[in-house]
Amino acid sequence: MTRTLVVAGHGMIGHRFADRLRALDTARDWRIVILAEEPHPAYDRLALSTYLGGRSRDDLTLAGRDFLADPRVELRLATPVARADRTVRVVVTQGGDRIRYDALVLATGSRPFVPPVPGRDLTHCFVYRTFEDLDAIRRVARPGGQGLVVGGGLLGLEAAYALSRLGVRPHVVETAPHLMPAQLDPGAAEVLHRRADELGLRLHCGTGVAHVHAGPDGAVRAATLGDGTTLDVDLVVFAAGIRPRDELAKPLDLARGERGGFLVDALCRTADPRVWAIGECAAVLGRCHGLAAPGYAMADSVAAQLTGRDAQPFDRTDDATTLKLLGVHVATFGATVHPGDPRPVEVTFADGIARYAKVFLRPDTGTVLGGILARDTGSTSPLRSLVGRPPPADLERLLLP
Amino acid sequence: MNRTLVVGGGPAGHRLADRLRHHGVSGPVTILGAEPYPAYHRPLLSYVLSGQADPEALRMPALPGIETHSGTAVTHIDRVRREVHTSESVHGYDVLVLATGARADVPDIRGARGPGVTVLRTVADCARVTGDTVVVLGGGPLGVETAAALAARGTATTLVCATPHPLYDRLGESASALLTDALRRAGVDVLAGRTVTAREPGRVLLDDGTRVPADTLALCTGAHPEVRLARAAGLGVRTGIVVDDRLRTSDPRIHAIGDCAEHEGRAVAGIEAAWAQADSLARILTGQDAPAHHTTPAVFRLRTRIAEVACVGAPAAFADPALRRLTYADHEGGRYARLALRGERLVAAVLFGLPEAIASVGELHRRGQALPSDRLHLLLGGPPRPASTDLDPPEDAVICLCNNVQRQTLAKAWRAGARTVTALAAATRATTGCGGCGSDVAELSAGWARETRHDGERTP
Repeated sequence: MTRTLVVAGHGMIGHRFADRLRALDTARDWRIVILAEEPHPAYDRLALSTYLGGRSRDDLTLAGRDFLADPRVELRLATPVARADRTVRVVVTQGGDRIRYDALVLATGSRPFVPPVPGRDLTHCFVYRTFEDLDAIRRVARPGGQGLVVGGGLLGLEAAYALSRLGVRPHVVETAPHLMPAQLDPGAAEVLHRRADELGLRLHCGTGVAHVHAGPDGAVRAATLGDGTTLDVDLVVFAAGIRPRDELAKPLDLARGERGGFLVDALCRTADPRVWAIGECAAVLGRCHGLAAPGYAMADSVAAQLTGRDAQPFDRTDDATTLKLLGVHVATFGATVHPGDPRPVEVTFADGIARYAKVFLRPDTGTVLGGILARDTGSTSPLRSLVGRPPPADLERLLLP
Repeated sequence: MNRTLVVGGGPAGHRLADRLRHHGVSGPVTILGAEPYPAYHRPLLSYVLSGQADPEALRMPALPGIETHSGTAVTHIDRVRREVHTSESVHGYDVLVLATGARADVPDIRGARGPGVTVLRTVADCARVTGDTVVVLGGGPLGVETAAALAARGTATTLVCATPHPLYDRLGESASALLTDALRRAGVDVLAGRTVTAREPGRVLLDDGTRVPADTLALCTGAHPEVRLARAAGLGVRTGIVVDDRLRTSDPRIHAIGDCAEHEGRAVAGIEAAWAQADSLARILTGQDAPAHHTTPAVFRLRTRIAEVACVGAPAAFADPALRRLTYADHEGGRYARLALRGERLVAAVLFGLPEAIASVGELHRRGQALPSDRLHLLLGGPPRPASTDLDPPEDAVICLCNNVQRQTLAKAWRAGARTVTALAAATRATTGCGGCGSDVAELSAGWARETRHDGERTP
């Protein structure tokens, strides 16, 4: 008998999950109803800046023809879940449609965090998350003008890169002492800083935005930073982090993580055996994960569970990421944060300030724990196999070929 | 008969006389030393301070056939008459060698020239360090060695230095922080980022207003080449007595070596440089096959038991964007290394707590040889390690991080007929994220294709 799976959200992770389930569900047990908030199918949000560089919405879409044509999949665009009732296993869309589910997977993603600074709501203040956001930025961007990006993390750098492609000179303000503080150490960030300089990005690290000022037309005209600097900018993009979209926790009566997000176990299960949460809205063992790769791992795990297969518990210690920022490959492998453990041995290799690699070794055995790389070429996959082993004789060549 | 007169009874002059004798110098060699003792090994004075060695133990071997005068301070050089004057005698020369060393600096501190204050350059200075409490001022090598030595003999010792850690500029932040730790473990109270502003009876006053008890204030605040005689004689002097590649001053009959000399624009202090110059000059003066003197890269080593510290090259190399830099930081184990390389050759190094590496790295630097490619092995020693190519990547190695595709998944897809990167991508999603693993997937695919061709039936 066919059962109904409702997926709340059709972002990158929601799509990955539905697509994976389609592939694993060889018995064709499941009918998949996807309730999307945005008016288009899932797209590659990580490549959003290329949309301003000329790629079309179709180029960035993740839902292929076979997916959209699959009779098992019912994708309902611009139809977010508004309410839900677990006792009767029903979700209610914003339009008032009631859909009964046998399984519910929450993949509602996150929303941009906008710091509470005066002027944050002025005309020409933007966030950076959807096609619509980018369309709005494109309408306002004036070649030769200046823009301020609030946040020097992944999203902020994407936004700054996008602005520079539109001919707008981006200023980036980051409260930490260097860019990408969540992922990188100062040495790796230095490689990024240099690349940012080459691209004409103006960095303001160690300070925040204090005030956005309006001109006579009521739109953004300038911004003042915490260090007193005032910048003449005609637009502001807030990319200072994200917050999980967990509003449904209340109607569903589900627990939240300490810092928000649907609280789930390592298998992404909520307290209700029929409800899962994956991606940025999931607080796995209390912690939310903001990048695509962990979300994909969660999606794959839940798809396996729903098709009666062995599922991988989500491994928090393996935070491996590869990112391409401003054209620089930035990657981590293995474990790069070591709270509570004896301080690991750190080995760094740097070519001037163009390339950088750091490897962490266990102080007792000398085996590789993980590492951070920032460089213009190469991949981390050969390095992954080093974890748990003593560093090989050609370590330096592997890191900086 | 060629009369050689050496002014300066320190290690440089001693070494020169020894080598002149060795090369069979013709004519008498005379040494005039201002200190009241024969030459001794000045860099080891901290062992006298710590009580580990008698002053006699530091004495350099006697030089039979060399006329040596101790306690004989030269007052004046008469270049026209080729004579050197002391308060009591006159010595003629055909060749004069100035090995006058350096003079310790006395900073501009109230009371610094009064009682209970001493610089530390001579055996006599060591005897002036008395009492139960001593403040050592200066975060250079001498300050560190002195403070460690005093703590070892049980003196309550405080080391005051202006920088965030002792030897901060030389070692950099990490290694100098380890040095502070080592000093504290050895019982030295380290007050960094401070300086002494006044000497008061029984104590010193610091710039932050605190007072530290001190029976003796030991000044280890640097030294300058001793050039007074040379300057009075009208020789060319900049920081030191300027010498050319044959270690000649502006007067061709007068040479200068050691801490007092400035060669290639630099006055290099330290016994290694002094000995190298003495060796060169001895060959030059005895007409040996003597090439021009070149400053050889010296290894700086801290002479203390509290830590194994060495460096080579200039610290500025670590900020040179054209160089490859390597750091090894084992904070728990108190081991640290920092290397700067141009190509495979060492430009500069800082080593802390790695005694074997100090020997091997120092030797490679002196000889200008290429470093082995496994620098970690060079630093840490132990048996040679295998290269990664000798290790098979494990089946569960994740090749595509974006999509979490393992090697075995790719292998399975390959077996199922996906024989190109595009086909593997379609089957496994590998390469469809950031694309960074494209070359790895291509390599794996090519490798499997080769294996299949060679082995017929065998597949991954």
